[in-house]
Amino acid sequence: MLRYLALEIRRTYRDRRFVFFAVAIPVGFYLLWSNIFAKNDVDAGTGLDAKTYLLVSMAAYGALGASLTTTGARLAAERRSGWLRQLQVTPLRPWAVITAKMLASMCLALPSVILVGLVAVVVQGVHLSPGEWAGLIGVIWIGSLPFAALGTLIGSLVGPDAAQPLTVACYVLLALLGGMWMSVSILPKTMRTIAHWTPSNRFVELGWSVVAGHVPPASDALVLAGWTVVLGALAIAAYRRATVRS
Amino acid sequence: MNAITFTGVSKSYGDVRAVETLDLEIAAGQAVALLGPNGAGKSTSINMLLGLARPTAGTVAVFGQSPDAAVRAGWVGAMPQDGALVPGLTVREIVEFVRGLYPEPMPLDEVLSLANLTPLAKRRVDRLSGGQAQRVKFAIAVAGAPRLLVLDEPTAAMDVESRRSFWASMRAYAAGGRTILFATHYLEEADENADRVIVISRGRVVADGTAQEIKSATGGRTVRFTIGDQPTAGLDTLPGVTGIEVRAGSVRLRTTDPDATVRALYASGVEVRDLEVKGADLEEAFLSLTGDN
Repeated sequence: MLRYLALEIRRTYRDRRFVFFAVAIPVGFYLLWSNIFAKNDVDAGTGLDAKTYLLVSMAAYGALGASLTTTGARLAAERRSGWLRQLQVTPLRPWAVITAKMLASMCLALPSVILVGLVAVVVQGVHLSPGEWAGLIGVIWIGSLPFAALGTLIGSLVGPDAAQPLTVACYVLLALLGGMWMSVSILPKTMRTIAHWTPSNRFVELGWSVVAGHVPPASDALVLAGWTVVLGALAIAAYRRATVRS
Repeated sequence: MNAITFTGVSKSYGDVRAVETLDLEIAAGQAVALLGPNGAGKSTSINMLLGLARPTAGTVAVFGQSPDAAVRAGWVGAMPQDGALVPGLTVREIVEFVRGLYPEPMPLDEVLSLANLTPLAKRRVDRLSGGQAQRVKFAIAVAGAPRLLVLDEPTAAMDVESRRSFWASMRAYAAGGRTILFATHYLEEADENADRVIVISRGRVVADGTAQEIKSATGGRTVRFTIGDQPTAGLDTLPGVTGIEVRAGSVRLRTTDPDATVRALYASGVEVRDLEVKGADLEEAFLSLTGDN
């Protein structure tokens, strides 16, 4: 399974679309927005200044994009093309394939946090303690799991033609409602309530808490864990159905 | 122990019966062709053998185990018809990866040279021609040095030259005492590369034996000649004749005894031109077996 994990990671780095969505876009947006917003603006909710706040937003945004794009459309295409069928006639088991895929997708969420972080430090002079860095990276890594599961769910349910737009729609919606682009406080009240329950919002909230030096509220972790369990179970069921031996 | 045993296997998809009761034993070390027209049930049988499909009734055993267990143990290597490569990797990487999944793989260089891929080892698999990609799939199938190699129409999408070198590679692999089962609808491939040919049609075995046996068991020889506009009545009752076909002044007699047929033909007073006697090829045997004419 480790071999398959390594294989997945290696070939993803050669995919320009991945590098664009998961690395270039968050870094670009970070540079853009951290220059637009006054550097010393402080977010009322978290007590973070704009450049640090945006570091977390964009790292999370990149992680979200990476975990969705490395699963959804790609899995759908592999199902259609016959690569998964090819793997089914090797000693590699289907559960190992899907586990490796989700793990790879989580690992592929890491470059965005590292690169956005690097840019934040070098260009904007953001300062975090080693503990805060470790916490942020850990939160981003583990917190990507529900999105990897969502992508797997999409990729197992629909064909490649539908998976691509569906993945992008989820990506945009989750980023928007998650407050990764702009604070959810500017949204209408109903939207704000919905946003509050999305996994992406809890994901980025966890990141903000960590870099603000707070102990993250248990409710954030619980909501995210709940989404992980639900999406994970659905993804496994859908994947099993998709690779069933009729 | 048999490499492959099908016991009373049938498979239906809804109301469609893809495989009727199939009983089959293939001894280890044989190279066997599964020959049949499209839709005969070849791929369904192979999918059941690989654990990609479950029989509706009956059991399939691979070296005495279930197909799943045999695949998991690394005893099986396969080129499923609808298998594919994954983009973004080089030939070497993908072959190396699959090797690593098997307990006792073949050395990498040996796999690459067997599949004629050594010069392409560093090429990305998404930049290969159809025939080259097919060779990579063959390399993947043999990389684990499986005891049983299963190929489902392996030469589809190959040109004549690649086809020739492909079968040379396959025979080289078979020479190591491995069991090989391949499905094809190209008769000459079965004739040239298999110790045993199993002909299936509409989900049943209609013939089973060496290519030679199948040829001689059906139709025998063909006598062809030009007859122009003379009457053809009575030709079908000449000694040995089992079938007749008249087309545009040309007659084709299928016979079990060409000498007697030709002697009687000349004695009958018919003016015969362009006489030709041929051994039935597998094509004819195949058509008469699968009953499409």
